[in-house]
Amino acid sequence: MPEFSVIVGPQHPALKEPESFTFWVDGEDVVRAEVRIGYAHRGIEKAAESRTYIQNIPLIERICGICNVAHTICYTQNVEYLYGREIPRRAEYIRTIIEELNRIHSHLLWIGIAGHEIGFDTLLMYVWRDREVVMDLIEEMTGNRVSTALMTVGGVTRDITPELATRIRKGLDILEERTKYYEKIASGESTILARTKGIGILTREEALKHCAVGPTLRASGIKSDIRADDPYAAHDEVPFDVITTDTCDLFGRVVVRVYETIEAIRQVRYCLDNLPSGPVRIRLPNTPPRGESVSRVEAPRGEDIHYVRSDGTDRPARYKVRAPTLGNLASLVEMLTSKGDYRVRVADIPIVLAGIDPCMCCMDRTSRFIEPSKGKEWVWTWNQLRKYGRMRER
Amino acid sequence: MNLEREERFVSEIKELLGDKISEIKVQRARSVFVTVKAEDYKDSIRKIVEKFGITHISTMTGADSGQTIDVMPHLSHAGMKITFKAAVPKTAAEIDTLTDMLPGAVMYEREVHDLLGVNFKGHPNLAKLVISDDWPSDVYPLRKEYKVVRPEPIRKT
Repeated sequence: MPEFSVIVGPQHPALKEPESFTFWVDGEDVVRAEVRIGYAHRGIEKAAESRTYIQNIPLIERICGICNVAHTICYTQNVEYLYGREIPRRAEYIRTIIEELNRIHSHLLWIGIAGHEIGFDTLLMYVWRDREVVMDLIEEMTGNRVSTALMTVGGVTRDITPELATRIRKGLDILEERTKYYEKIASGESTILARTKGIGILTREEALKHCAVGPTLRASGIKSDIRADDPYAAHDEVPFDVITTDTCDLFGRVVVRVYETIEAIRQVRYCLDNLPSGPVRIRLPNTPPRGESVSRVEAPRGEDIHYVRSDGTDRPARYKVRAPTLGNLASLVEMLTSKGDYRVRVADIPIVLAGIDPCMCCMDRTSRFIEPSKGKEWVWTWNQLRKYGRMRER
Repeated sequence: MNLEREERFVSEIKELLGDKISEIKVQRARSVFVTVKAEDYKDSIRKIVEKFGITHISTMTGADSGQTIDVMPHLSHAGMKITFKAAVPKTAAEIDTLTDMLPGAVMYEREVHDLLGVNFKGHPNLAKLVISDDWPSDVYPLRKEYKVVRPEPIRKT
């Protein structure tokens, strides 16, 4: 059978984000995949060099809407490392609380989207309804549903009152009950099993070789979590289990995210029960000393690493950000390549892409299909591709 | 802060690389910076990678330091961040690739190549990754001489 290439993108096919994939297909099997990113490159690193350390906080927060907390924690602690100062323990606990609430919201969002991609929209509706609980908690705590604007260099901007802690506990009870219900659904519902088991395989060796991060890595059976390996904020005190599975497929990625949500709920509860008293921020001078620093955070999607270099002025000389999705791209290409008995079908592309929880920017999308041997070329919108993916299952 | 583990790690690296190291410092807990010359860059990293069985490269940073560009791969080993640093001259920005021993470096080297114009010898495919296809080939946006020009504000008369 002649081989032909399928171009998906530059608008991102799985989430509403721009990214371009070229798939070489043989009939229904994907034999090779290539990726081209950069459609949403906004020059944030260059922009950071022309702003002061405080002005950079809102800029860094806007790298990603969903995991904004991970980026701001990473940025502020990186600058604090430059000063060589420790921040108050209470601030570190509040950072952990908001970070874990953010993780709950991000993982629930992903479970809903995964349901949508496999044509299980009931799951999307249920999960997103329950996700409103955590969105409301984040809003009560910070004043915003999504962009929290809670971090500042030297601590956090808002404190948690005992009344708010009570309301957060109540919300967590609802979330825990519902997440346990989704745990039951994820492990037993036939639609999910049929569309996730044995799909998007990334073996342990491949995951290590391509430096996968986060739930993608842990679903391949590797116990690696920045919160445990390189603890920051209050993670050195807050107990939690690093969730791993050895199924190495999409099913494992669903399971890891569901259990991580439950772990996150437990961590927030622990932080609220053991919240130290004291101030929530220290004042630091506007200009950090000369030096450089690296800091890492476990974002909902995996390891997020920032580098900063200070030349003794009030603006960074260099700021570098590596978001987790870039770390997972090479593994994604591996997952989308058929080899031996493992077959990747065109209909699996959307859910495999969604499987790493990619996070770039927002836009709409079309897909171009090319068959060079026959000189054939056609364009599908994302809705058509998704419809095709669902029809194949019936 | 107890830095015993880091100190031990540093002495192991010193033993392994000897006088190839220009500078080595513990920046804080679980973060070590190792400066080497550009010609020793690949050999030093290979020794460390083989000795500790490192598989994970977190990312690679390129930074403009005036006359030179610092190439800084950030390796990760058991929670430790090991940042290598090698300076290459701006006029002949070229260094060996790490992709043969750390395949995860493919994307990161392409990014540094795009934004700072460092050529990685032996890289399988240095095609553009993050900047657009019609971007001029000799302009590197993260070098200091590249200035962002703000558009003139439109004033109502």
